[in-house]
Amino acid sequence: MKNREWAEAKDEEPVPDDPASAPAPVAEVRDLRVEVGGTVLVDGVNLTARPGRVTALVGTSGSGKTTTGLALLGTYPPGARVSGEVRIAADGPVGYVPQHPASVLNPARRVSALLTDIARLRLGRLPRARRRAAVAREVRRALAEAQLPDADTVLRRFPHQLSGGQQQRVVLAQALLLGARVVVADEPTTGQDALTKARVTERLAALAARGIAVVLLSHDLDVVRALADDLVVLREGRVVESGPAHRLWSAPRHPWTRALLADRAASDAPDPAPKTGPAALRVRGLTARHRDGGRGTAEVLRVPELDLRAGECLAVLGRSGSGKTTLGRCLAGLHRDHSGQILLDGVPLPRSLRDRDRSALAAVQYVFQDARAAFDEHRPVLGQVARTAVRLRGVPADTAAREALDTLTGLGLAETLAHRRPGQLSGGELQRAALARALLARPRVLVCDEITSGLDPVTRRGILGVLSTLLRERDDLALVLITHDLESLAPAHRIAVLDAGEVVEEGPAERVLRAPRHPFTSALLRTRDRLGAPSGS
Amino acid sequence: MSGVRRFVARRLLLGAAQTVAVVLLIFALTEALPGDAAVALAGDQPDPARIEAIRAALRLDRPAHERFADWALGLLHGDLGTSLTSGRPVARYLADGFGPTLVPAALTVALLVPAGFGLGILAARHEGRTADRLISSVTLAVYAVPEFALGVLLVTVLALRLGWLPPTAVGHGTDLLADPSVLVLPVLVLLSRPVCSLARLVRAGMIDALASPYVAQARRYGLSGARVRYAHALPAALAPAAQQLARTVDWLLSGVIVVEALFVIPGLGTVLLDAVAERDVPVVQGLAVVFGVLTVVLNLGADLVAHRLAPRAGVAA
Repeated sequence: MKNREWAEAKDEEPVPDDPASAPAPVAEVRDLRVEVGGTVLVDGVNLTARPGRVTALVGTSGSGKTTTGLALLGTYPPGARVSGEVRIAADGPVGYVPQHPASVLNPARRVSALLTDIARLRLGRLPRARRRAAVAREVRRALAEAQLPDADTVLRRFPHQLSGGQQQRVVLAQALLLGARVVVADEPTTGQDALTKARVTERLAALAARGIAVVLLSHDLDVVRALADDLVVLREGRVVESGPAHRLWSAPRHPWTRALLADRAASDAPDPAPKTGPAALRVRGLTARHRDGGRGTAEVLRVPELDLRAGECLAVLGRSGSGKTTLGRCLAGLHRDHSGQILLDGVPLPRSLRDRDRSALAAVQYVFQDARAAFDEHRPVLGQVARTAVRLRGVPADTAAREALDTLTGLGLAETLAHRRPGQLSGGELQRAALARALLARPRVLVCDEITSGLDPVTRRGILGVLSTLLRERDDLALVLITHDLESLAPAHRIAVLDAGEVVEEGPAERVLRAPRHPFTSALLRTRDRLGAPSGS
Repeated sequence: MSGVRRFVARRLLLGAAQTVAVVLLIFALTEALPGDAAVALAGDQPDPARIEAIRAALRLDRPAHERFADWALGLLHGDLGTSLTSGRPVARYLADGFGPTLVPAALTVALLVPAGFGLGILAARHEGRTADRLISSVTLAVYAVPEFALGVLLVTVLALRLGWLPPTAVGHGTDLLADPSVLVLPVLVLLSRPVCSLARLVRAGMIDALASPYVAQARRYGLSGARVRYAHALPAALAPAAQQLARTVDWLLSGVIVVEALFVIPGLGTVLLDAVAERDVPVVQGLAVVFGVLTVVLNLGADLVAHRLAPRAGVAA
């Protein structure tokens, strides 16, 4: 990559389509620079939010999106040196919908607590006798506007008793109740499945339709494409390009914009030749249960038959709660409560990890979604990766370390990074390390559970490329790729679609994506087409 | 909330089992002590024949399991048995000792809650500044001083040197409220350490809560500082403090032996000390039952409060 070319920032005022009719901006950021302890987080960032329009800040993680978004809220990291101007035209607070809505909901208070307090502030002028009823009415109205119809139930609940979508709507209701003219939404769709994404997109579009200026911080290009009127592309704290969305989509001027917005770049396509030969892993009559709060058990997954051949990548696709992860956990012996058989090379695998011997443990390896949580933060990555070979294959420590280093560099992780602690690695780098750790066991089956969700598109493509390469290089390895994300299916040879614990469709990847047979699969694919339709072209 | 009801029932059953285990253990331990009530009663004339006679009179010559079975059977009818040394019912001992224990304990809790929470919240509001450093270092220093040392110090200075307060409760019998001045020093000593631990827990919880994104959101949306502190931050900070408070109340009600001995308060702690010295097994066991039940009930209450304040954590038996 030629940095010389990219370093040159090309700023451009985000001019609306017809400047004469453009409403006055409700929030403006001019030449913002935020510096913490000598590190410049953002520099020279300009941003204009106009009523009824969605302004999207796009960029990879660490590009300064969140710093800019929080500046609109008047929040800066501790010890920050700030210069530039942040002006909120409509004197009113700015609403905030964070990536994890649960984080701004008090776990010890019912949902009604903050909503009632906000409403009371706004209705402070009313006499006490009438205020109570007015507050209740306002709260209900805000919840209805945020598409939460069953107000009585929701208000009585604690945040943890709500689904993620409900939590997000409660946070939106707070902003609506506040009468915010600007709402900052930070990664509202990251880690969500396609149908949920579509709903969040509709919610934000409805917000803009009310004349609220929405500032969207996202690296999810589907949502940006569907929503954004104006785009600001950030890279390493600087604006590389900004302007009306349709112009940037159709004719990006800066190479970095082009790289970032590249449409589902054809990453290494899988070897299309169908795999033949005996199945490495067979699943027969699998029924998994979850204990249901002591009230008995609920069946959460039924897989009558599923085969996986060596050298093959099977994608398990479904929404959250469809049983994908449970399937992966059954294979790895992490979920004991199931009946049926899981056979590896014809030999049944014990149900629980505890009953599996070393070779059976090594044969099925699991890579988790949250790579950061899967590493001990106090020890260098290399040692932790090498440990697998020592524990599961009885390799001497120095050989294991050498092998670990080879594997890590093979997966594109520099040697200097391998000697660092997990805290100094990025999410994508840690995910590569987690893959290396699993590979050191020389597994037959590698279960990858949502390993690309939460990563920005550039990093995600990198990881998916690594998986495709792995399949080509190790013909004894079979991959189970658990995902909700249609963008992460590139390495898959076959796709099994799960809905509410049932395999509704299974077949070659190309066929399932081109001509889905089950209505649920079609619905999933339609959301992508709807979200992904290029706006303005 | 059938889940909570089932949790309470399970915990009460478990608590009953724990209390039985404590009583069995106490019985075994008092059996293991050298000497018995007969030796203690014989006092200055340890004549073996006389001890044997007393033993027979007290029916201590029967095997241990028979004696325990007798006592346990009585307990099922609500009879805690009679003292070996005085022949008075154990229930009377408990009733007499409970008042002198309860009065200072209740006063201590009444002062502990506002003082502990007040200091904790104050320190958290001024985190890292003078008020916080002062409160944090003083509470740490006071917490490091054991009750008996602080008690002796206070008695020496305030009672003996300055003569402001009576040094002990001698001569007031079981009615301590007749002259409240005798209560000042014991309550101060009882208060000293719990107030420190509570204040430090509240401080830590409040600092976490005040730095949380949900408090930032409440502030951002224009709520007043007091409203944010008391209605939104404090509830999230209460759960650990509630647990600590339950342990403190349990400790106070079980008769703080050192403090009762120092100030000569005839409370449950004193009753226990005397009963052990006299090998008065029924009294010791009666106390064990009462303390066991108190502990179970108070901790259950604290867990329920914690569950209400931190519902996400669920309830663990």
